[in-house]
Formats: sequence, C-alpha cells, structure tokens
Amino acid sequence: MALNNVSFELPSGAIMGLMGPNGAGKTTLVNVICGFYKPDSGTVKFQGRDITGIPPHKVCRLGIARTYQIPQPFGELTALQNVAVAGMYGRGVGKSAAESEALEVLKLTDLADKKDVPAKNLTTITLKRLEVARARATDPKLLLVDEPAAGLNETELPHMLEILAAIRQAGVTILLIEHVMQVMREAVDTIFVINEGTPIASGQPDEVMKDKRVIECYLGEYQ
Amino acid sequence: MGITTRRIVVLSLLGGFAVVMALLPIMGMPQTWMLYLIYFFVFLAAANMWNLLAGFSGLLALCPAAFIGLAGYTMTILTWLNIPFYVGILVGGVVAALFSILISGSVFRMKGVYFAIGTLVVPEILRLVFLRWRPVGGELSGGGAGYMVKGVSEVIMQETYWLGLAVAVASIILIGIILRSKFGLGLAAIRDNDTSAASSGIDVFRLKLYSFIIAAFVMGVAGAIFYSYQRYIEPNSAFNIRWLMIVLLATVIGGKGIEEGPFVGAIIVVILHFQLARYGEISLLIQGIILVVIMLAVPQGITGLIRDLRRSGSFRPG
Repeated sequence: MALNNVSFELPSGAIMGLMGPNGAGKTTLVNVICGFYKPDSGTVKFQGRDITGIPPHKVCRLGIARTYQIPQPFGELTALQNVAVAGMYGRGVGKSAAESEALEVLKLTDLADKKDVPAKNLTTITLKRLEVARARATDPKLLLVDEPAAGLNETELPHMLEILAAIRQAGVTILLIEHVMQVMREAVDTIFVINEGTPIASGQPDEVMKDKRVIECYLGEYQ
Repeated sequence: MGITTRRIVVLSLLGGFAVVMALLPIMGMPQTWMLYLIYFFVFLAAANMWNLLAGFSGLLALCPAAFIGLAGYTMTILTWLNIPFYVGILVGGVVAALFSILISGSVFRMKGVYFAIGTLVVPEILRLVFLRWRPVGGELSGGGAGYMVKGVSEVIMQETYWLGLAVAVASIILIGIILRSKFGLGLAAIRDNDTSAASSGIDVFRLKLYSFIIAAFVMGVAGAIFYSYQRYIEPNSAFNIRWLMIVLLATVIGGKGIEEGPFVGAIIVVILHFQLARYGEISLLIQGIILVVIMLAVPQGITGLIRDLRRSGSFRPG
C-alpha cells in the first residue's frame, strides 16, 4: 500500500508544501487527487464536491491542474501549441482565443521567445517552466506542482518561485511537492510531511523543520 | 508568403488538380491510365486516413483491410438486394464506421505496439467469418465465398473514376481541416503524450475514437468504390494484408505525419503495384524489403526529406 490514512485540508487561496523523502508517496498522492489512481478507501473532495475516481481530464476541467516532476511535453508541438491545447481542452475555449491566451501565459513563464520552438528541442530547465505554463493555461483553482526545483540551479530556482508566486497572486491555491528545504522555507505557508505513505507532521515551516520525526526520516535515526 | 496567401495557393492547386482529373476521361484518356488513376485515388484516400491514425493520432492501427473489406462486402451484398451501388458505397462506409466503434472498446485498452497487434488480427477474423458465411443467396463463383457485384456491368468505368476522385479530394480536404482544428491539435497532444494530454483536460478515449471512426468511414467508402470497379469480392482479397501494405507503404514512403506524404507515396505505390504484379506472391516480400529500407534510410519519407533539405539549404525558419 502506497498511501495509508493520509488526510489533510488545503484552504482556498493557500500555498501548502507537501514534503517527504523519496518514495514517501508524494507523487502517488498527486495521482490520486488527479484521478490517475483510484483509492481503495477514502475520498478526495474539491470545493465540497466528492471527486474520488473521476477521470483525469474531468478533474482538470473541474479546476485542478498538475505539473510533472519529469517534464511530459507534447514533443512535436511548439511551446505555444503545448500551452494552447491545454487552454482549449482544459477550459473549453476556442482555438484563436486559446492561442492568444497561451501567449500571455508564455510571457508570465518567460517563454515567449520560445513560442515557435518544438518542445522536443527545449532544454529540461525550459520544459520545467513549460509544465507550469501548460498547467496555468487550464485556469486552475488548484495547482499541484510536482518538484519544480529538481534539476534547477541557484539562479533558476528563484525564477521558478517567482513564477509560482505570481500564479498564487492571481488567486490560485497551490500544493507544492518538494523536498528541497530552502524552497519550502521560502515559498509556503504550511507544510504537510508524509513518510512511507503516512503523515508524520504538519504546521508552519519552522516548526516542521524542528520536528524530531521529520529530522529522523530525512537524516536517519540517532543511534 | 503569409498564411492566407499560402492557403489560397494550396487550395487553388488542389482545385486545379480536381478539375483537370475530372475532365481527363471526357477528353479521351486511355483506359489503362484511367485504371491507374482509380487505384491512385483509392490508395490515396485510404493512406490519408491511415496517416490520420498513425501519423497524427499515434494509433498504429493495422486493420484497414477490415474497414475496406466490410464496406466492400456491404456494397456488394446490397446490390443483391437491389440497392444501387452508389448508395451501397455510403452504407459501406457507415458499416465500417460502426464496426470501428464496436472494436474500439477492446482495442483501445491496449497501447502502442499492443494496440498494433490487437488490430492486426481483426481483418483475419473477418476473413475467416466471411469464408464460412453466405449472407445472401446470390451467385457464387468458383464455389467460394465470393460475390459478383450485381448489376454494375452497366456501370461505366468513368463513374467509378469520378467517385474515386471525389473521395480522394474529400480525404485531402478533411485532413486539411482536421490538422488545423482544435480536434487535430488534441490528437497530436495524445500522440505525443497521452498522460499529460489527459491531465490537460483532453478526453483521450473519445478523441481517439473520433479519429478511428472518421478513418474507418473514409477507408470504407474508398474500399467500396474499389470493389464496385472490381465488380467482384471474395474474403481473401477483401481482408488481405495487402491493403495494410498499401496504406503503410504509401504513408511511410511519402512521409508519415506529413500532410502531403500520402499523395507522393500513393503515386509510388500504384507504380509498384503494377510493376510488381508479375512477381505474384513474391511482390509482398519485395514490398516488405522496400518498406524496411525506406524506414532505415529515410525514416521521414520523401516529403520529409524534401522539407529537411529545403530547410538546411535556405535557412527558412520552421
């Protein structure tokens, strides 16, 4: 069992961190929320509505978007098309409206100069931003960001956090999955920590970082 | 050239092509040429649809013979029920489309190469069924399960020629519209990554199904036109793997995933078809070798090669 008794609430407008060591079940949790996996028991509620077991494309249309830890672009499509197609289907807007909106999202994520480049020719770092852009284009109420910092260097990381902050400013609730402590300390209001599929701590970043069980699962037990 | 100017040029070229082709029989084209062109039209329409599936939707469907054969049989059987063949051609397309819906539930459970293999067995199953089944008490020839198309002996060759031209041109226009639509972009997204397509709000199953139905219908219509020209249908020809070979060769030689690919490819396949006819069964082997060589040497096909050369030669941005 990958997840066991994981229960949390994410208030609208908040930005929460989901933390845990490798294999803790963070991405599994995202997959359960987005409808890729169906839980054996338990429910996923979104804006008071039970969305457990709803297929991924409907979850997206309800207003939950996600990014992938390892970028999953549409390789043959240009950056603009990657973002526009998400707008067309995620929000149900027409082609030309989606394309002009996609251009705005590309500007927000600093990708406007890459708009006509096929995604397969973009670097991994650029693709990380394209992931965020594509998710943003579906106009989500809740955005699940899976390890945006992985693979980014010291200058690229603040850039990514700025982009996420701008999205939050626009009223989007964010669940940030990450295990880079620095990101958590800077970017989130509260943190929820899981390990081996079970919750071990939650609260303000500073408190959580001092929690004995959190330190243990990251650094190993004191002998 | 701007996009609009370019579109006008392409559309007028297509219109010119259609008009010239339509006038050729009236101006006294030799019968053999008319024969070649009927084959070309049918192959082109079927290959365009296979390009829609394999090139633009990521569906490596190896069952074109199922759609072509079923539609051909539908048209033939309907002529025995005194329904005109041109009505039968349309009904044949509808039957092929309905059949595609019927098998979609099971074949779409599989992905990639498993989907390919799953679809490959479908025409073979139909072949075996039709070898044993006698749908109407019509005139059987050679004691097999073959049927003559009733009443088309009066049909002049020109009519099938024009019908073939119509479906070929329609298939070109259809592909042009799909590729520039929201639907086409959704299909391309699914082809490139079906997981992130789903999480971008795309109903993957539904879009793939639409693409499958459209391809089945047009392939069916093209196939039924072919058999109305042939005037005879039997299971071993209708559900033959040669149909797959034709669409596959035309698409791959021309350029898979490129709009103009099947047009160029279909010309070559028609030439091959008549040149290799004298080798009988070995012709399939020769075609297979050609296919493998093309895939190894020029995987992007002829139109893809031309596009790449033009790009590197003149620094034209993509």
